[in-house]
Amino acid sequence: MNFHLIDWIVLIAYLGLSVFIGIRAKKYVENMEGYFVAGRRIKPALGTATLIATEIGIVTFMYLGELGYVTGFSCFWLGINGVVAYLIIGKTGFIVSALRRLKVITIPEFYEIRFNKRVRLLGGILLFLGGVLNMGVFLKMDGLFLTETMGFGPDVLTIVMVIMLMIVVSYTVLGGMFSVVVTDYMQFVLLTVGMFVATAFTLTHVSLNEIATAVSNNFGEAGVNPVVNPRFGWTFLIWIMLGSVGASALNQPATTKSLASENAEAGRKVFLFAGITLAGRYIIPMFWGAAALAMFGPHLNPTTAMPKLLGTVVPSGFLGLMIAGMLAASMSTYSAYLLAWSSVATRDIIAPISKKELSEKTTMLLSRIISIVIGIFILVFGLWYEIPATAFQYIAITGAMYAAGAFGCVAFGLYWKKANSVGAFSALALGAAAPLTFLILDQVKTSLPEGMLWLVDVNVSGFLSFVLAALGMVAGSLLTQKSHPPIALPTTDEQEGGPR
Amino acid sequence: MTGLSFIWIVVFALAALFFFGTATVITVLGARDLRDLLRG
Repeated sequence: MNFHLIDWIVLIAYLGLSVFIGIRAKKYVENMEGYFVAGRRIKPALGTATLIATEIGIVTFMYLGELGYVTGFSCFWLGINGVVAYLIIGKTGFIVSALRRLKVITIPEFYEIRFNKRVRLLGGILLFLGGVLNMGVFLKMDGLFLTETMGFGPDVLTIVMVIMLMIVVSYTVLGGMFSVVVTDYMQFVLLTVGMFVATAFTLTHVSLNEIATAVSNNFGEAGVNPVVNPRFGWTFLIWIMLGSVGASALNQPATTKSLASENAEAGRKVFLFAGITLAGRYIIPMFWGAAALAMFGPHLNPTTAMPKLLGTVVPSGFLGLMIAGMLAASMSTYSAYLLAWSSVATRDIIAPISKKELSEKTTMLLSRIISIVIGIFILVFGLWYEIPATAFQYIAITGAMYAAGAFGCVAFGLYWKKANSVGAFSALALGAAAPLTFLILDQVKTSLPEGMLWLVDVNVSGFLSFVLAALGMVAGSLLTQKSHPPIALPTTDEQEGGPR
Repeated sequence: MTGLSFIWIVVFALAALFFFGTATVITVLGARDLRDLLRG
């Protein structure tokens, strides 16, 4: 057992503070816009802090650490790839500025403005399913991480995780985006401290030279060159670049932070500033994974090698601080996801099919109930579902299930005048088809004929989903221009130079 | 240490520097933004 009384005191103090400030923020919620997007008054620095806190969780540390352990330095390329994607969005405002100008709260809301209500409903269902499935794996990763770093058995961990989830669900349900933003800020500071502690103690136990030697001895050139690494190669590098630009701007929990900004310009800056930090938040955990390779050799379970390293090198006292930082990272991710998926379920699935218009009060009540249901679901799902492929690829595939179709609909809907509702339906359906096929075929891959095995290649599946979605949008729209004439986007206040 | 290994180590050092540096700036400016948000 690595975790001592001083560590428990630090951890409980952090959890207590989360409850206090998270629930206290409830008083700032005055209406629906306050609940879902904090009244759209978030300035760039705070928006960046909450966006980073949303995007970093234990699950990201785990899959990035795993990549570092099994691919050496060649996975560092993903950090550079992410920076390029974010800087493209941050410099051009690609997608996020246009959505912020239209004052939407969820991405499927755009589908109704540009296409029709049925596209919004289908988009909402896919976004909700892909998003909740994507989130289902988070708790499992939290459990593995805490087991290795704290040194406790499953019973203690279940209690820690249930308490953590109850705290997140309670403040998210009560205070909506206000509680999320206030707690995100604190969690951002704490997760930065946690990452610093982990990196500093790793470097005091394993030298840079030892890590470089271990990477070279275990992987040869594949450890330093992503093109020759069998896990990456050209197909992966191309689709991950396309996917990063598309999915980063359309990842509802993250994009919400941009949509809650005070104006389109601030929404763009949030992505620009977050992009500057992206290489670090990818490469630092990958580096911990490579350090685990140097310390323990290549024969550990790749998923738990990195947390085993941190549990070994970080001393008591600092361990409590690091675990609090890691839990802070996860809690800020859960709160953003709960709010994002419950708002999609309420506004894009229930509202379009209900006979009469939902009042603000009913919408917020439904969103709160769905947040609680999602919280219970991820607790149950996190304990029994077996993940196919590696965690990173599972997340990439469930993410592609909605991101590819959404990219087809939003990018073409914003920047191509001929995009119509038939094209949008085709893009959503085809974008989800490749990842769904992968998830189903992966269950029966041992009985697949030789000629079909390429379908269960996770890189092919991810790449195909984006290509099929784009083809579906272009072909569907061009073939039905007369029967389904495109709907033009409305002019917004900011475009007219009016109030923001 | 090979040439490519050295380059990746430098990339790691720069990435960490940018991350912790930017995080410090965001922490200071974010506190001001948070106060403004809650005041209004």
